[in-house]
Amino acid sequence: MEEIKAVIIDDEELARELIKNYLKEYQDIRIIGECENGFEAIKTIAELKPDLLFLDIQMPKLNGFEMLELIPDPPEIIFITAHNDFAIKAFEMNAVDYLLKPYSQERLVAAVQKARERIQAGVSPGDKLYRLIHQPLAERLERIVVKSGTKIKVIPVDKIVYLEAQDDYIMIYTEEGKHLKQGTMKYFEDHLDQSRFIRVHRSFIVRIDQVTQLEPYSKETYILKLKNGACLKVSRNGLKNLKEKFKF
Amino acid sequence: MQNPILENRKSITSYTAVWIIVMLIHFLLLTISGKVTISFAFVESLITNLLFAIIGLGLWFPIFYSRSDNQKLINTFLNHLFACVVTVGIWVLLSYVMLVSLFQSNTGYVSYFRESIPWRSGIGVLFYGVVILVYYLIIYYRSFRENTIRESELKALVTESELNSLKSQINPHFLFNSLNSISSLTMIQPGKAQEMIIKLSEFLRYSISNKEEKLTTLLAEINNINRYLDIEKVRFGKRLTVKQVIDEPCLKLKLPGLILQPLVENAVKYGVYENTGESVLEMVCNCNSASLVIILRNEFDPDFLYKKGEGIGLQNIRSRLRLLYNRDDLLMIRQEGNIFEAKVIFPQQ
Repeated sequence: MEEIKAVIIDDEELARELIKNYLKEYQDIRIIGECENGFEAIKTIAELKPDLLFLDIQMPKLNGFEMLELIPDPPEIIFITAHNDFAIKAFEMNAVDYLLKPYSQERLVAAVQKARERIQAGVSPGDKLYRLIHQPLAERLERIVVKSGTKIKVIPVDKIVYLEAQDDYIMIYTEEGKHLKQGTMKYFEDHLDQSRFIRVHRSFIVRIDQVTQLEPYSKETYILKLKNGACLKVSRNGLKNLKEKFKF
Repeated sequence: MQNPILENRKSITSYTAVWIIVMLIHFLLLTISGKVTISFAFVESLITNLLFAIIGLGLWFPIFYSRSDNQKLINTFLNHLFACVVTVGIWVLLSYVMLVSLFQSNTGYVSYFRESIPWRSGIGVLFYGVVILVYYLIIYYRSFRENTIRESELKALVTESELNSLKSQINPHFLFNSLNSISSLTMIQPGKAQEMIIKLSEFLRYSISNKEEKLTTLLAEINNINRYLDIEKVRFGKRLTVKQVIDEPCLKLKLPGLILQPLVENAVKYGVYENTGESVLEMVCNCNSASLVIILRNEFDPDFLYKKGEGIGLQNIRSRLRLLYNRDDLLMIRQEGNIFEAKVIFPQQ
């Protein structure tokens, strides 16, 4: 039987110890790495290319889901967490299993068995996962993780000035700079808080309190001025949205 | 404070209507008595009653401003006696001046007016009494209504904060993660696992049995906080260091039970849960005869703090402090660089 290579990602040492102890007697699974936060995990996964992750959700700075967003082709995942409210999201992301802490050895072994079946069947979860991750989930976005070079940055949505669509990517303009992220306007329109953000054009979503002025540009077109000096085109639908929001 | 009669159109209309009725009765009685002609009767009833109607509006102010709950009954009575004499005097004098100047040609009327001064004064006293009574009724009705509203608001607030505090008493993630750590310890260090089970049990017992409205000693609170922190230290190892500076005499001072717990949990949350490095939690307790002051400090990473404003936890503490001490300034929150500081003052009786 082929050996499964797994990485444990959990910020608590005892939680990692437990997984290792539970799996000690099983020869066909080997723990090749341990990470205590999302940043380490991204590096370790890229270097060691594991088949399976044991992933906690609540971790400092970068939570389990945010970390996954930054991995292009993630392996199989078994979520192990004390939170019972993320199970739906986890399965939508094609997780093998979702274990609630504390859990028994049998439960973990069963989860690993499921993972083995998947790995041996050779279904690559990656593509599906990556696609699903960008699909609308009924959850409001409070921060966005972006990767620039080797650096990972977490942008609170309150720092966003506006978003601009660029083919398959979104340029995120913040008060300090700009960041490129894969995604669709639809995703951000659905997930950003509608009381704080507004879509003004096919290519633009603006943070409402950044708006300073709306000026007519030509017949039926308008230009929206922002606090940082940017001028954005407003479409007819965008104008309708603005009218609804500002009641003019 | 505006005169309640002038506050809305309805009360102005009723006030006017009452005085028109009084005026008509006055007019009819005068006409029936046959002492004066109809036109005299009309002018007199109009002027005297109009005058009192206006003076009556003015009587609101002395009542409103002299109103005091702990005034002695005899003082109130003397005040009114004096106000009554002055009011009636002014009223009779003004009526006299106006009517006599209107009818000075008619000596019969002047002498009639002079004769009628005693019963005019009597009626004046009666009017005064009625007007004052109406004002007092308005005042009592109002404060009664205000009290009812305030009481129901207070009740709602108490229930709400009770609910919220119940909800926030034990953080389920803390509980389950601790149990998971214990589960892990049973395999590698059974002795330590047992120790942690006992600590966790004591912590749970304290949290469940402690009645929040009761005051407890700082010693009991600190003991409980330390149980919590000990458990977190087992979970997080080096990542959490606790520094406590506690003035010995403070330990027997009183504070509301479990009120510091959410602050400590907050500090652990931002200092440890959300931090990759090692972090120090500082707790300082000072006191004097008037108050107990507790300061909690933790490091956090401002770049990763994405929630603005005060969370439910802090709001809960504020509303509990308000309910207990009737003050808004007992909890102070400060952020400087990467240090978060919460300071709570507990007044001592």
